Amino acid sequence: MATDKTTSFVGQLCFGSIEEDLILPYPKMKPAEQETFKSIRSSLEQLLKPHEKDFREWDAKGDFPATFIDELKQFGLFSLIIPEAFGGMGLSATAYSRTLQEVASYDGSVAVTIGAHSSIGMRGLVLFGTDEQKQRFLPKLATGEMIAAFCLTEPGAGSDAASIKTTAVKDGDHWVLNGNKLWITNGGIAQFYTVFAKTGPQGERGNVTAFIVTRDMPGVSTGPHEDKMGLRASNTTTVHFDNVKVPASHVLGEVGKGFKVAMKILNSGRTGLGGGSVGAMKRMIALATKQAKERVQFGKPIAEFGLVKQKLGNMMVDCYVTESAVNLVNHLIDSGHEEYAVEAAITKVYGSEAMWRTIDEALQIAGGNGYMREFPYERALRDCRINRIFEGTNDILRLFIALTAMNEVGSSLKELSQSLKGIFDNPIKGFGVISEYARRRASLATDLIKRDKAGFSKLHPALQKQQVTFEELTRDLATAVDRVLRKHGKNIIGKQFATRRLADIMIQMFVLACTMSRVSTAVQEKGAAGATKELEILEVYDQRVRRIVRANIGQIDENEDELVKSLADFAVDQERYIWDNVD
Amino acid sequence: MPLKILVTAKRVEDSESKIKVDAAGTGIVKEGLKYKINPFDEIGVEEALRLVAKHGGEVVVVSVGTKDVHEQLRHALAMGANKAVWVHHDGPIDQLGIAGCLQKVVEKEKPDLCILGKQAIDDDQGQVGQYLAEWLGWAQATFASKEESLESEAEKAKTPAIQLAADGKSITVIREVDGGLLTVSSPLPAVATTELRLNQPRYASLPGIMKAKSKPIEELTPAGLGVDVGVKLTVTKLAPPPARKAGIKVPDVATLVDKLKNEAKAL
Ligand SMILES: Cc1cc2nc3c(=O)[nH]c(=O)nc-3n(C[C@H](O)[C@H](O)[C@H](O)COP(=O)(O)OP(=O)(O)OC[C@H]3O[C@@H](n4cnc5c(N)ncnc54)[C@H](O)[C@@H]3O)c2cc1C
Repeated sequence: MATDKTTSFVGQLCFGSIEEDLILPYPKMKPAEQETFKSIRSSLEQLLKPHEKDFREWDAKGDFPATFIDELKQFGLFSLIIPEAFGGMGLSATAYSRTLQEVASYDGSVAVTIGAHSSIGMRGLVLFGTDEQKQRFLPKLATGEMIAAFCLTEPGAGSDAASIKTTAVKDGDHWVLNGNKLWITNGGIAQFYTVFAKTGPQGERGNVTAFIVTRDMPGVSTGPHEDKMGLRASNTTTVHFDNVKVPASHVLGEVGKGFKVAMKILNSGRTGLGGGSVGAMKRMIALATKQAKERVQFGKPIAEFGLVKQKLGNMMVDCYVTESAVNLVNHLIDSGHEEYAVEAAITKVYGSEAMWRTIDEALQIAGGNGYMREFPYERALRDCRINRIFEGTNDILRLFIALTAMNEVGSSLKELSQSLKGIFDNPIKGFGVISEYARRRASLATDLIKRDKAGFSKLHPALQKQQVTFEELTRDLATAVDRVLRKHGKNIIGKQFATRRLADIMIQMFVLACTMSRVSTAVQEKGAAGATKELEILEVYDQRVRRIVRANIGQIDENEDELVKSLADFAVDQERYIWDNVD
Repeated sequence: MPLKILVTAKRVEDSESKIKVDAAGTGIVKEGLKYKINPFDEIGVEEALRLVAKHGGEVVVVSVGTKDVHEQLRHALAMGANKAVWVHHDGPIDQLGIAGCLQKVVEKEKPDLCILGKQAIDDDQGQVGQYLAEWLGWAQATFASKEESLESEAEKAKTPAIQLAADGKSITVIREVDGGLLTVSSPLPAVATTELRLNQPRYASLPGIMKAKSKPIEELTPAGLGVDVGVKLTVTKLAPPPARKAGIKVPDVATLVDKLKNEAKAL
């Protein structure tokens, strides 16, 4: 298959093909955009740095003062992704994500406030809005006169978003909305809501439509600001719709296609979270290295102890590889590539977990100080925890990654591609069709791994060793996918342990591929001597990925999955832990 | 009466960057450094913008250096300056060369007032403003400042340190002197240089950054301006400040007193 706009790198890996043109050469921000970004960066410093003490206070209080939100509006932080024609900055995905990275390095709550506005709150309007809708709302969204919120989650519908109960019933040239949304970021400060409601018959799953609802419509109300673990200053509320009359012209995209709208918004917004993770990690590395140098124990700066070095070294690797993946996916988006849902999900999963590890280790290096509110570690840890939960939990995203990527394998068979069309809307449910493919392949029993594009041809020779490993691992992945599909066939949907293993392999391999691209390009530009540290990072990460992939593959056939499940069932049945050393 | 004010925007290493002396011992390691507009210059831009906001007119920002100085020019444009002049020079240059280029730009642009930083935070030479005034034959009011904290409400209400007379023909400038303030007056055109406590520069808003993209940057060269930028002043040695010694813990007050007396010689 040729590399075109709809080729997924990870999807092709499952097939044994390395689509190197998608990741090489490693992209750079365009010079003009770099200049704009540098201006943004230095202004952001002037805006946010003086508030460093306030952020701690606002976290404790659990709210931003209205004056600060006004400051953000005047600064223009709500205009980042809005096209210039509508009064925005028109930033590319790359520059937007880099800007969020910068903001996140000062305060997570600020990053989420502007991120929820741009990444999800009004992205539906940018992606699916009619000219009339854009003319009407984008200029106001750019100045912050309107702040946007994304309203999908409900008390009974979290990960299972298709089960929402909010309804919209057509009444002449209006729709009448009824229902309640939960944990909506910016809920209480927004004037513009992207709302998902059911427009199909009662009791039927799906058939969702996206609507633009504004705060001034009668029947819209919001609940109190939630008392949260982290991101405490970021506004999170319930949003209620009580017989809200919404004009038909406020439908976003097509009636009945709202689930697709939601998924498209979430897919294209995910690299913003990846960018935020990188920002938080960079800040932690700066803090932790300083701390390790200054803190003296046993007569030495603790930076001289092996176990502290181990943490710092790992933080460097985690940050570098995450940044590589985030940049590459942003580049795919900016170059008009259409198939990046799996790769974007990988940056979210990997980034949120790398960030968690990094902050946790930085806190450990700080010791008791790390636990004190006076220092930034504990707040950073609380703030970042949500990244593994919202915009798709990492568990759900792992299933999504593996099932969608394997679907790519199936869709190469022409006769199946038609029936696979709906899979993207509901990868988990729609996956049954894959079993067809699995049966077919088993009966054909031919050579399963494609021979073309089985290797890299454009990597710098300095990466020879890693290239060989990667090509080997790609063959292993393709064989593993095949084996898992054959073993479980139609039942793959229920085999979450196996799916997760494949997802973990894909996640690591994609991040490794991005890192190889970056290091190869660095060696090409700076020579091996100029890229020594980067080569070292690659060496460490490459070894690590190899071990993770091998371990996961080894467990496909030999594992304790059934025992673990039975223990879980036992615990659920008992609803407690039954053993004790007291009779 | 509208004022035309010329300000400068030198590109300097960000003071937050980690500065290391290079192997030759005459420069610094440039890898991984962040750059920004000289803070004294930024204060000059701010003061010029305030004057122009009050009296009308325009602000022209000038920088001498490689293409990289566009970043600093754009920064000043994003703050609100109207146009920029870039004197393109890629090699080494000293204060005489920079002042020579500025003199020619001033003769071309004919501003009523030049506001420069009193020094640049990279090499702290503090010469350019003085050379420029001397060569133009203009009066110079150096170290324009204010006495109070910049954040206080009282300060905000106070009259600015650089003021235009009612007839628009002269300026008064409040200067910092040892232990007090000195107010001077000069006919225009004149040169003023800024002290750190003159004002709190505004930040460039994102709409400002967008507008700056379409503001003109005129390119000139020292040769075109007829300036000889041959370097006369060279750096022969650069030494970092001595590393601070690690602190120590003392068991009791007696040892502390002893160490203060005999080792630190502080008592
Ligand atoms: C601070 C904050 C801000 C938020 N902002 C917004 C917002 O702006 N807009 C919005 O619409 N929502 C928002 N949310 C909601 C968020 O997106 C949801 O919390 C998230 O989607 C998870 O849903 P849930 O909490 O109902 O968890 P559940 O779906 O109940 O999941 C609970 C656990 O079960 C697991 N699980 C569920 N289903 C499966 C399965 N099929 N297989 C395996 N494991 C499964 C999950 O991974 C998770 O570990 C926000 C939440 C928070 C806390």
